[in-house]
Amino acid sequence: MAELTVFGYRTGTSLLHILDSRFKLACLILISLASLKAYIPGLSLLILLLVFAIIHIRVSFISVLKEIQYFLILLTFVLIARALSTPGTPVIEFMGLTMTSQGLYDGILVCGRLGTVVLLGLIFVSTTRPSEIKAAVEWFLTPFPFIPAKRVATMISLVMRFIPTILNQAKETADAQRARGIENRKNPVYRLIKFTIPLMRRTFEDADKLIVAMEARCYSENRTDPELSSGKKDWIALLLVICLCILIL
Amino acid sequence: MNILEIINLTHRFSNGAMGIENINLMVREGEFVVISGQNGSGKTTLLRHLNGLFLPTAGTVILDGISVSENVVRARQMVGMVFQDADSQIVGETVSEDVAFGPENLCLSRPEIKKRVSHALNAVGLASFADQRPHVLSGGEKRRLAIAGVLAMNPKILVFDEPFSNLDYPGVRQILKQILSLHEAGHTILLTTHDLEKVLGHANRLVIMKDGKIVRDGTPDQIVTDVETYGVRQPCASRLGMEIGSWLN
Repeated sequence: MAELTVFGYRTGTSLLHILDSRFKLACLILISLASLKAYIPGLSLLILLLVFAIIHIRVSFISVLKEIQYFLILLTFVLIARALSTPGTPVIEFMGLTMTSQGLYDGILVCGRLGTVVLLGLIFVSTTRPSEIKAAVEWFLTPFPFIPAKRVATMISLVMRFIPTILNQAKETADAQRARGIENRKNPVYRLIKFTIPLMRRTFEDADKLIVAMEARCYSENRTDPELSSGKKDWIALLLVICLCILIL
Repeated sequence: MNILEIINLTHRFSNGAMGIENINLMVREGEFVVISGQNGSGKTTLLRHLNGLFLPTAGTVILDGISVSENVVRARQMVGMVFQDADSQIVGETVSEDVAFGPENLCLSRPEIKKRVSHALNAVGLASFADQRPHVLSGGEKRRLAIAGVLAMNPKILVFDEPFSNLDYPGVRQILKQILSLHEAGHTILLTTHDLEKVLGHANRLVIMKDGKIVRDGTPDQIVTDVETYGVRQPCASRLGMEIGSWLN
């Protein structure tokens, strides 16, 4: 059996699981926008709250770190690039390269903002069924006359359905290649090509199989959507999120 | 009374290759038909015409008096198809959500969907797994989930494409037991396999395909001694001149 990834819905009974998906989506958008304007103190508070939320929904931190390891590498590059390219007071000088305090501050800020958005997305995806995400997106898009709400919502829910499948495929492909000594080849371009082509092929094959199976079960855009019902707790959560956004700005 | 009538069915693929040619097959309500043949003999192509996943190049498939091409949605509701790769058939994030996928596509009301999901899960003995993630189920359980997914659409005919592939002995027994109980409940069963040993003791009829054509059609006793001519292994008991037993004994 393929290992499960954290970027997929996990059943649970936490508060985040039982909140209405429309409110969760609204909260996600609000916090993401606020985090893009927030500075270090606000971001620190936000990241702390997100860590508590991950503990609350019972997702293992090790698996989260494993899952976002490549993203963390990307953030490290962003941090280094910012630290080296922003003018300011020098902190470290090495082989003609200068890291500035302003650059480090900027780099940490950008990485914090990007990391926050990724963690928010992870919490949202882990606690919301794709069908509920689809229903929420559709609900938000329905008032816009020129946007095909059902089609957009269906596409988003299918993408959500496919993220864990693609990550699993990537893991299996990487394992199979390691078993045949790919690590002995030092050329990263060669390794990337040998990794990407079979991964893409398998992903498309799986997508084909899934389409046929869905068609066999009468799939169409017009179907019974999940019942969305909001209550007092959803409004309280939204109010708290608005207060949090004001606080961190 | 014939529930399924296939008349002069021919299917040519878009690349010009012949899939099946001039197939004629009448299946009575409540029959248990095993379709066998070596890889590439056209078994899966034939099955995919029964619910309109493939449409004929020539000929007709008639389900209970109405042509499949005339009403594909009716055909997909009437013919429940369980695919060879159960993983690719699983769409939901939980077991109950996956079973609900078909009825939701039929735009049934939420109470009716809940009723059907509960009934289907009870029928396959997965009621206690309702809130589990499908990916944590064993091979046999996944295939039972795939069966529950089609049962929830209330089909009259159940089509199994290589239902025993990749299953261990207990898994094969679980699925066989399930298929037999569905047959006893009145469903018409069509099952493809190249391993006759596991199921032939329970079938009323054996159809052998080769190169896209039906080459033999009759009761298992009449045909089983000739199957090796067509690339299918003769069951061990039959080779020894004994009656083919059940894998459930």
